[in-house]
Parts: sequence; structure tokens; C-alpha cells
Amino acid sequence: MNFQSLILTLERFWAERGCLIVQPYDSEVGAGTFNPNTFLRAIGPEPWNVAYVEPSRRPTDGRYGDNPNRLQQFHQYQVILKPSPANIQELYLESLRAIGTDPSKHDIRFIEDDWESPTLGAWGLGWQVWLDGLEISQFTYFQQCGGIDCKPISGELTYGLERIAMYLQDVDDVYDLEWAPGVRYGEIFKRAEWEWSTYNFERADVELHQTLFDRYEKQVSELLGLSEKRGKGGALVFEKEPLERLVLPAYDCVVKCSHYFNILDARGAISVTERQRFIGRVRLIARAVAESWYAQREALGFPLLQNARAAE
Amino acid sequence: MSRDLLIEIGVEELPASFLAKGLETLREAAIAALDAARLEHGEVKPLGTPRRMALLVEGLAERQPDRRERVLGPPANVAFDAEGKPTRAALGFAQKNGADASAITRVETEKGVYAAVEVHEVGRPTQEVLRDLLGDVCRRIAFQKSMRWGEGDHAFGRPVHWLVGLYGDEVVPFEFVGLTAGRTSRGHRFLAPAEFEIPRADAYVDRLREARVLVSFDERREAMVAALEKAAKDLGGKLVVDEFLLGECLSLVEYPFVVPGGFHERYLALPDEVVVSVMRDHQRYFAVRRESGELLPAYLNVVNTAEAPEIIRKGNDRVLRARLEDARFFVEEDLKVDFRSRVPRLDGIVFQAKLGSIGDKVRRVRALAETLAPADLAAKIGEAAALAKADLTTLIVGEFPELQGAMGRHYALAQGVDPDVADAIVEHYRPQGADDELPRGVIGAALAVADRADTLVGCFGIGLVPTGSADPFALRRAALGVVRIALEGPIDVDVRRTLAAAYDGYQGVALADRAETLAKLEEFFVARLRVMLRDRAPADVIDACLGAWDRGSLRDLEKRLVALSRLRETPAYESLSVAFKRAFNIAKDAPAGEPEPGLFAEEAERALAEAFARERPEIEKATAAADYDRALTLVAENLRGPIDTFFEKVFVMVDDAKVRENRLKLLRAIAETVTRIAHFHLLSA
Repeated sequence: MNFQSLILTLERFWAERGCLIVQPYDSEVGAGTFNPNTFLRAIGPEPWNVAYVEPSRRPTDGRYGDNPNRLQQFHQYQVILKPSPANIQELYLESLRAIGTDPSKHDIRFIEDDWESPTLGAWGLGWQVWLDGLEISQFTYFQQCGGIDCKPISGELTYGLERIAMYLQDVDDVYDLEWAPGVRYGEIFKRAEWEWSTYNFERADVELHQTLFDRYEKQVSELLGLSEKRGKGGALVFEKEPLERLVLPAYDCVVKCSHYFNILDARGAISVTERQRFIGRVRLIARAVAESWYAQREALGFPLLQNARAAE
Repeated sequence: MSRDLLIEIGVEELPASFLAKGLETLREAAIAALDAARLEHGEVKPLGTPRRMALLVEGLAERQPDRRERVLGPPANVAFDAEGKPTRAALGFAQKNGADASAITRVETEKGVYAAVEVHEVGRPTQEVLRDLLGDVCRRIAFQKSMRWGEGDHAFGRPVHWLVGLYGDEVVPFEFVGLTAGRTSRGHRFLAPAEFEIPRADAYVDRLREARVLVSFDERREAMVAALEKAAKDLGGKLVVDEFLLGECLSLVEYPFVVPGGFHERYLALPDEVVVSVMRDHQRYFAVRRESGELLPAYLNVVNTAEAPEIIRKGNDRVLRARLEDARFFVEEDLKVDFRSRVPRLDGIVFQAKLGSIGDKVRRVRALAETLAPADLAAKIGEAAALAKADLTTLIVGEFPELQGAMGRHYALAQGVDPDVADAIVEHYRPQGADDELPRGVIGAALAVADRADTLVGCFGIGLVPTGSADPFALRRAALGVVRIALEGPIDVDVRRTLAAAYDGYQGVALADRAETLAKLEEFFVARLRVMLRDRAPADVIDACLGAWDRGSLRDLEKRLVALSRLRETPAYESLSVAFKRAFNIAKDAPAGEPEPGLFAEEAERALAEAFARERPEIEKATAAADYDRALTLVAENLRGPIDTFFEKVFVMVDDAKVRENRLKLLRAIAETVTRIAHFHLLSA
């Protein structure tokens, strides 16, 4: 099964099980979780079932195209099922069958792996899934997102597409993967890996990224009317009504800050003590967006909840 | 009459530590609840796999015993009016206890006369009691972390899918997390996925075995170990037993199959520790060694399903190959750098925010370690101290932190560092725990002590003192390590001097007050010693020796302990401990100064004074030379008789002040001399 048939198979599989098939986010993200179709939709009472590919950037993982397993950009297949259905594990195992791995012939195990994103103020409990000793997926029940307790709970399934494809195609080097008949992964991405590794580690303009981080961070406050004042127990104070806030552009700024932080990190421009401060700054604006999103959906009467009730 | 009770909670894969803690709390809650409900029962057995927690209560009585009890109410003067009729208070009391007014009686108690009723409660059938009880028991199960799922209304370690409650062959339909218990369970996720019914509680283990689940931990473990040993033998080697891995694998599978696999021999050129770590920590594989001890290029994988072992093996081989290839790459890259040239990079690694870098620590440890070993080792100690932490900057330790030390030694040897120095690099991390190996060489031991003393002083100096179960810097383990090295290892340690020198090594770091910090630390050591020496001597003997010890040499303390323990085995011990305790207590407030022979009024005191004057120089000399055995032998052989006679014949507290004070002076001098060996007054009678 080539790389693109793997994607197409998963798209069809999850579409048939009621997921919206959407497209990757058009800004740099470190994981599918950053896509607003996960981060924002996991918040609040509205149901949401979605699946998409997410090209994910991890600047520090770049190896200039020299390492057979590590990439600064790879592809996740992300599925969100909200609320998590009782048969979510069975659905996941069925999806493995769909891509040609019969679970009864392999050793499939659910190994404890709790997930946390300090920048997004999000965490969940779950597993990494091992297929014959290879970690192929992350399986997480979101407990909190943007500092807000999740209810209902979203089940998040994240497939590591390159790893699964290497397994299915029996290759040891990611660049040998067949993307489509006659086209190798390396032909598409090897040069890109070298260029981006060089950029991330050596050439990215530190001052520019620092400035961009600061300005985008500031813009979030402007877009949301986030006051510097704090309420009781450190509660955030907004000077704009929920529907006056530009939540989606603000979230875009959060995603950009997170990415610039990753670039600065890869450039070695962030010391250990500064690191925590940067993470705290992103977490704060992510929380402001999360709270604004919730307030906005509430002001709109949680439309998807009403749709679901009407459908019943 | 009794029957067995079964509870099964079917869950999504629970982590190993969750299963253990969840089952422990389930068992405790069940026992507490059954006891509180006055339900007699036999053994309560925890059973479980990653997908289920279960409890089997054997021989649970079929009903509660009836209860007859006299319940006391208000005092008689409140309970009865002038005519002897029950008051409103008494009637309320009776009603509350389900009794008629006519049933109220008067009883005499130690506190006076009270109203009382006889309560007679008929025991309920167990089946009826269990329905509410089991739900409550399940709600008391605790985990390290709980989670919610689906609509988010319930919390547990992982989502719950089914409940079984059986009392004998009857269902107990208790309710928990929105589910109602029945008799339907599920088998192995892949090998027997169909639901099935459990006919009766005592058929549970057998019925699950048919469904390819070994639910008993013991049975599963035995099957796993047998399969591992057989597979190792088939490979022509022996299983490398690893308790951590056994525990992990046991709670990752419902039925243990073993699939062997292999890797290319070229990876055996890596240090054994690396190969074993890659297999164990990343993949949870067991290693196999030849009889001669070398690693085989093979591994054993405990899996949950093995319908197609060749497929599983192929996949695992590939994963391991990539991991070993990474490790080989790391080691090759690491070796391209001169190991010695890594030392300056330690300045960039934080030891503790307030205590500076690892580089700072290394410089302090070096100076301190030099004071702990003979001067001719100073050069080697200097080199070893500098190199001891250098492997923290290597790629391989970045990937496998548990290989710190071992890799430092490996790289040092590969680059021609003196073998004594290289050994010290790995040895200075020892002992890791109470049962771990100690450093064998003097250099490693000196570094180990200096490293721990530096950490202890630094942490205490900035207020990071262990409290209760919280000891994030493992300071208790560090102190125990120092003690074990001194008592069982190659060098003695002077606690007071070493800690003081460690404190003085923190130049330019703001630590808390010197005297206060050091005093706290000495007490910390004394507290550790008190616990640690318990398997060598009774608590009072330890306290007696700790009292006389100057908080200096640990071996000096040990000698006192040995000598006093030896004395304890002799017939003289009993009377000596009594006599010296008496002497000490009487003479506590005695005036200072030597007794005057002219003031002795009785033969017995004169004899004691003479004996003491005769023996004293030798006893004190032996004490000063830390020959406590000899000191105590002299005391036992030559002072015991005179002091016993003294206390038998002489009344100390006579009216004549001069005679009395003189006697007290004599006792005080004797007490002082023996107290320098051990605090006899702390011995229990």
C-alpha cells in the first residue's frame, strides 16, 4: 500500500463512520492537535467527529535528510470522536484491518502514554499503540483543553503515517517509501528536509522570530480584548463581548507563536529558564482563545448541540 | 452456609501501576465494607489483567448474624419524670432505635443510671446487602490519576465496559459508573473476543482460562517465566532475569506468549549495557546470555497474541534494528569527541538552579574527594572527579539516562584513560539503592561520598529538605549511601568533617546559616543511622552508641556498636547497665571535681574508688584509641564487682553534705568515663 492509498483508505474508512473529512490547517503546526478542528472543537458541549491529515513540523527533529527515521516535517492522520464512543478501541482496530493489518495476526498493545501539551494547556490520558513493537498511534482521551475541563470527552486517534507506511511497505528508510506508483518519498521531501533543517538550525533569523513572537502575542490580546487585569483566582478579564472577539484570527496568532518558539528553540536561542517563560506565555494566550471560543459558542446557543438534538 | 463472591470490572487497558494500586484499594475497600456489614468471609483474592480488575471473596456467609445490643440513652434523671414515666427525650430515643416506650429500661453504669433499650436487629441476607455495598466498594477504588470518557459523567483509571457481580451462582446487580453488573464477561481481546456467561463465582478463573485469559497473577507469571526459560534454552542460552521487566510484561498481556527474535551480531560490539537498555527500556524485551556470560544476538518478546509469530518477529526485529542502529550511531559520534574535552561543557548543564552547574559541582566534589582518600591518590581523584559526569554531554546518555556512568567508563577506557579512573566513573554512582553494589575502589568511593555530601549540603542549604514521603532529590538514599560506603566499602567517612568541608566548598553560593545547616544534616544522618543499624543491634544499644559518638567517623560508631553488642552477650551486661544508669542518674547534678580519698567513710566506696583509680587510665586510653572492646572488657572485669558492692552497701544520699558530695563526685567521674564509650543510661532495663 503506497503512502497516498494509505491516506485515502483512512479517509474513506472514517468518512464511512460519520467523520467530516477536512483539510490540514494552513499555518505551521507541531501536531494535528493544533488544528482548530481539534483544539477548539474539543472545548464545550457540542458533538464533533472529524478526520484529516496534518503535516506536522518539529524543527528540532530535523536531520538534514540523513536519518532514515527522523523528519522535521511528517504526516499525522488525526481523528477526533466527540463524545468518545464506547466502541472507540474497536473502531481503531477496524481501521488497522482496513489498511491491511489483521490485528489477530499481529501483536497489538495499548501501552500507557499520557499526553500533555504545556503550550496548549491541554492534557489527556491514553496509550501509544504498538504494532509488533512499533509505536504507530497515539490514543488519547482529552481531559482538559486550553485550561478548560472537557465535557463531553473527545477521543483523539493520531496515526503516524510515515511509520505505518514503512511497516506496510517493509522499508527501513523513510525516503524509500513509495508515495504513489513510481514516486518515492525522498523525491518529494529529501531536499526539503535538508533545506528546512539548515534553515531551522542555522539560518532562521532569531531577532525576526523573537519580534514576530512578541507582536503576534500582543495581537491576541487586541483581538480578544484581553485585559491585563485579572479577576478572582487569576481569572482572565475580557473587555469585549464574546461575539465581538475575533477568536479564529487570535487562535492563528497562538499557533504562530508556538511555531516561532519552536524555531527559536531549534536555533538554540532559548535558555532553560527562558523556555518555561515562553511556554507560559503561549499557554496564557491559548487559554484566552479557548475561553473566548467557549463564550462565543455559548452566545450562539451551541448550534451543533441543537442540530444533534434535532436529528434525534 | 457460605458461597464465593466475584466482582469483575472490565476496562480498557489499564497501566501496570494503575492495576496494582486499583486492586489494592479495591481489596481493602471490600474487606472493610464486608467487615462493617458483619459478613464473615474467607480469603479475598485480587485477580487481574490489563483489561479487568477482579476480586474473589471466598466463603462469604449467606446472611448477617442477628444483632442484639443494649443501647444507652439519656441519663435517668432526664429520661424519666417524677412519676417514673419516660419523658419526651426518652421516647425520642426509643423511637430512634425502633423500640416501644414499654421497652425502655433503667441500667446502672459506672457513670450512673441511664435509660436503655434492647435493640434486636435481624441479619439481612447477604445477597440483599451486597447490592448497595458493592457499588460503594467500587467507588472507593483509587488510581494514580483518574480520567473521564464519553459524556464525561464518570471517572475511573480507564473507561469501564462491563461489570460482573456473582454471589455463588446468583447475579448481584450492583451499579457503578452507569453500568449494572451481570454475569457476562469477555475473553481475550483478539483470541476469544465473544461475550460469555460465568455460571458461578468459583468457576471464574477456569472459565476465563478457556477464553484465553490467565486472570491469576501467579498462574500468568509462572506461565510467562516457563515460556521465557524454554525459549532461552531453545536459543542455546539462559534468560537474563529482570524483575522490572517481568512485572511490566505481566501486566501488559492477558495470556503470555513468547516470541523470540534476533539482531545482527555486529551490534554486539556495543557495550552490553547499551544493548540491554535498548531492548529493555524501549522495547521491553528480555536479553539472553550464553552459559559463558556473553550476550546472544537475540531477544525474547512477551506478547499478547502469537497466531503468526513470524510476522510479529519480523516487525519487532525491524524496530530493534533501527533502535540499535541509532545507538551505534550515538556511540560512534560520541567516540569522535575526546572524552576529556567534554568536561568544560558541564558548565552549561544545570545541577540545581540555585546551586549552579554540574561543572561547579564537579569542581567542589573534586576538592572534597581529595580530602577523603590518601594523598598519593590525589592526581587520580582529580582526574576521575573531572570525568565522572562528562558522559552527561554524550548522545547516548541523552537517549539512555540510565547508562550514565557505565558509558563514561566505556568511553574513558576506549580513549586510554587510566582503568582505575575509568572504574571510578561508574562506581561513583553506587550504591543506587539499599541492595545495590558498592564502589570497590577507593577513588570511586571517595567520589561517591563527596558527590552525595555535596548534594546533601547544597539541598539542605537552600531548604530542600525531605518531608514525609517527598524526597525528590533522593537525599535519604544519598545519606544511606554514604553510611554504607563507610561501613561496608573501602573508606571510612568522618560525617561531621565531611559535611563541614562540603559546606565550605560552596564558595559564592548563598546557603543558609552554616552551623544550623550542618546541625540539621547531622541529625538527618543520626536519624538514618538509627533506622539503618536496626538489623545489627536493638534500638537502645544503637541509641547508647549514637549518644557517645562524636558524629565523626562512621567506623568509630560501628566499633562502639560491636563492642557494646558483644558485652550484651556476657553475664556482666545486665548489672553493668543497671549500675551505670544508676550512677549517671544520681550523679547528674553532682559538683565537679575529683573525690577526696580522706572523705570516704565506707569500705565499699573506698574499694570502688581504688579500683576506678587503678583502671581509669587504661579504660580512657582504650577509649581514646577507639578500642571499645578493650575498654568495656576492663569495665566488665574490674569495675563490675566494686560498683555492684558499692550500690549494695553504700547509701549515697546521706545527710552529711561533705560525705554525700564526695560520693557523688566519685560516681560522676565513673559515669563520665564510661559514658564516653556508650550512653549506658539510654539502655533499657
